Amino acid sequence: MRTTNSSAYGGTWMRPLAVTALGAVFAVPLYVVLANTFKPGADIASSPAALPAPPTLDNLQAVMDRPDHLFWASLTNSLLVTTLSVVVLTVLSAMLGHYLARTNSRWGRAATLLLLSGLMIPPQVILLPITHVLRIFHLMATVQGLVLFNVGYYVPFGVFVFAGFVRTIPVELEEAAAIDGAGRLTVFWRIVFPLLRPATASAVIFFGVWIWNDFIDPLIILGPGSGTTVTTGIYRAIGQYQADYGTVFGLMFLATLPVLILYLVLQKQFVQGLTSGATKG
Amino acid sequence: MAIDVRTVRSQPVSRVRPAAGRSRSRRIRAALARFGVFGAPGLLVYGCFVLAPVGLSFWYSLTNYNPFNPQTRFVGLDNYRMLFGDDEFLTSLRVTSVLTVILVIVPNLAGLGVAMLLNRKGWFYNTWRGVFFVPMVLSSVVVSIVWTRLLADDGVVNQALGWIGVSPVGWLSDPSLALYSVAGIMAWQMLGFCVVVYLAGLQSVPAELYEAASIDGAAPFARFRHVTWPLLAPALTINTVVLLISAFKAYDHIQVITNGGPGSGTTATVAFLTLQTGFIANHQGYASAMAVVMLLIVATASAVVLRLLQRREVDL
Repeated sequence: MRTTNSSAYGGTWMRPLAVTALGAVFAVPLYVVLANTFKPGADIASSPAALPAPPTLDNLQAVMDRPDHLFWASLTNSLLVTTLSVVVLTVLSAMLGHYLARTNSRWGRAATLLLLSGLMIPPQVILLPITHVLRIFHLMATVQGLVLFNVGYYVPFGVFVFAGFVRTIPVELEEAAAIDGAGRLTVFWRIVFPLLRPATASAVIFFGVWIWNDFIDPLIILGPGSGTTVTTGIYRAIGQYQADYGTVFGLMFLATLPVLILYLVLQKQFVQGLTSGATKG
Repeated sequence: MAIDVRTVRSQPVSRVRPAAGRSRSRRIRAALARFGVFGAPGLLVYGCFVLAPVGLSFWYSLTNYNPFNPQTRFVGLDNYRMLFGDDEFLTSLRVTSVLTVILVIVPNLAGLGVAMLLNRKGWFYNTWRGVFFVPMVLSSVVVSIVWTRLLADDGVVNQALGWIGVSPVGWLSDPSLALYSVAGIMAWQMLGFCVVVYLAGLQSVPAELYEAASIDGAAPFARFRHVTWPLLAPALTINTVVLLISAFKAYDHIQVITNGGPGSGTTATVAFLTLQTGFIANHQGYASAMAVVMLLIVATASAVVLRLLQRREVDL
């Protein structure tokens, strides 16, 4: 492919040059976050584009040492909400996706359709009534309430991923295990779930990134009383400390770090997960 | 020992090959148990936290529900009638439409261009791919704050324009420009997704097809038009539907960057107005009517787009 295309788009140096120019412009906001995280607060306002020379860790230090523990409290909440939601979501959607992919009844197809239509429901459509539903269960303004909402809202995507993958696994594998005398749950967790590893990887990455970065749902469901996640924490910080951009950039950097590391480590699975539906076959 | 083996084996065999009569009820019981363990938990949470709220939204939209007004009563379609005479709502429909058109077209086109540029092997292209993908994993709050700083009246962009003698532009403070700036910021964040999907599409095009086209004397543009483009149809479908749904959900960027302004509602999308009306003004019945209209528009638009684009895929 390289040889057939190289003449089609100009000389050999044109492409790297175009990529570098476009990429550099595209990356300006990323550079600004990095540069300003390691720059004294006063310099952020006066020269936001300059290199941090010499770089300082004062902003990160200030964020971690804040007397109100905004960063640590937000981090704890985000870790708790994201971990719990991802674990419950993965377990429930793997089982449900497998169940629906292996069910041929009319009810099974109807349930699949109903779930998949949930993929396009904007959260704003259900947030108002969700607050009432959560109040009925006494879960409003609690981490458990937010986790349950996340599970309900993202389960359609999980089912979409897992059901699609289960259909590529021969059913004979499971039947053989059933004949050997293993119960349904044992067959699922011992035989089927390990086979679903690629689907599990992409589901975990997507759930993780979405839930970690979620803003409006924790803002409304957790409310002002019961703490912040990293995103709502940053949002409140810009309200309170409008002038103190050192804190804001430090907070943004630290809040992004976990998900960025996850992405860099799992980049391959991430891209595979995104593209599994992009090509037919 | 021998007896043990036989009893262990005989049990599952009867499950696989059920006899008629007595075992029929056992089969139904087994199916119910399977549903109870595998199907019910996920469906139950989905039902409670998605389906029931959708139903409640429909119901609230027919009432004058307001938490500070004790007398909730059924008002029929009054909320809907009011909506279509409400300038604020009609403006939000227009804002959402503009945002949707920009967000469906710009990252789609730019993503295809970038993907074609990056469709090469080696560390150089891999590194730049990584750069284009990063905004996908950033929080919309972080993206919004950084861009607000960049596009501020005294921000980096206006400073750079100043060096080449252009007077400052009110990217986010000019009511006629702010919506386009917000759309541009969201397009920047969505670009990486489109690039990934198009790259996968490009890599699935068999090299022999290009060779065959070259031998037949097809010029570069003709090769793109007749080989690449048709084979990218599934990628185009995915990008368009995902961008469409994201545009309708657009909320975070707007709350953080402009909070619906500048001026009155120049960047207030339907999603934004719905939550403002429901949670700030507490007109929950009226806000629910907006939510229902939004849901109907999203459902119709994605069904139509999906049908149109998938027909293109089948026609290949």
